[in-house]
Amino acid sequence: MSIDPCIGIESKLQPYLDRQLTGDEVTMIEQHLGQCGYCRDRYHFEARLRDTVKTVCCGDPVPEGLIDRVRLHCRGQRGA
Amino acid sequence: MLLVADSVGLVADTPSEVPESPGSERALEARDRVHFEEEALGHADQLYRIALRLSGSQQSAEELVQETYLRAFRGWRGYRPGSNLAAWLATILRNVFLDEARRQSRRPAQESFEDTSEYYLYNHLTESGAEPQEAVLNKLSGGAIVDALGDVPPAFREVVVLVDIGDFSYQDAADILGVPIGTVMSRLHRGRRALKQSLANRTSAEAS
Repeated sequence: MSIDPCIGIESKLQPYLDRQLTGDEVTMIEQHLGQCGYCRDRYHFEARLRDTVKTVCCGDPVPEGLIDRVRLHCRGQRGA
Repeated sequence: MLLVADSVGLVADTPSEVPESPGSERALEARDRVHFEEEALGHADQLYRIALRLSGSQQSAEELVQETYLRAFRGWRGYRPGSNLAAWLATILRNVFLDEARRQSRRPAQESFEDTSEYYLYNHLTESGAEPQEAVLNKLSGGAIVDALGDVPPAFREVVVLVDIGDFSYQDAADILGVPIGTVMSRLHRGRRALKQSLANRTSAEAS
């Protein structure tokens, strides 16, 4: 544990969001987030940012008829 | 035989004049193959989204997906039933992407990115004063996010795309990329920070 607990939280925030920490580490982080507004604001921001990136980057519609064109492409290559 | 005619690969290439009994080895393999193809096509949306973020254009993404399925259907016997089919397909997709990049002599470079603080973007967006979370996030336009992802060096971007957009685990990403899991974690860390740095730069540019 770092001397400044907020520095320790900063380095563990991404693994925490990835659910890669041990039970003890999760407990330590959640206790700290419950008490520290500075880290809580940043945690919420990082979590929302991930959701936003994912939503935006998955937001483009898959082209209509993609699977049909895949089938056609594969048949055409087979016949070639 | 309708199922075989619907299939797109090797089995369908075989002469079809001789009727096959439903239980023959070839008929069973044809059935397995059709089943494989249908299951594989069920991952087309996920593959397209990964392809789009790797290549940056809709047309390239669709071509990547088509070539991926062509290779997957040709090499379907290489897939081990019960293993992660999406990860197997994503491995092929990534190889197709790298082949294409090599063909066009734009081999992904290992560019360096300054390793900034975890809170670089947050601090950048809030430096004008304390603001509610919504206002901070609303400063990020969808276009800026997509463009910023394109700024991330390819070796880091592909890990961010697989894990944060494609929903693959660290282990899946390690298998797809053929690197140790520690490398995935390190590239993911750097890729996410590079993304935030680029977003900060782009929001500055948009504001000015």
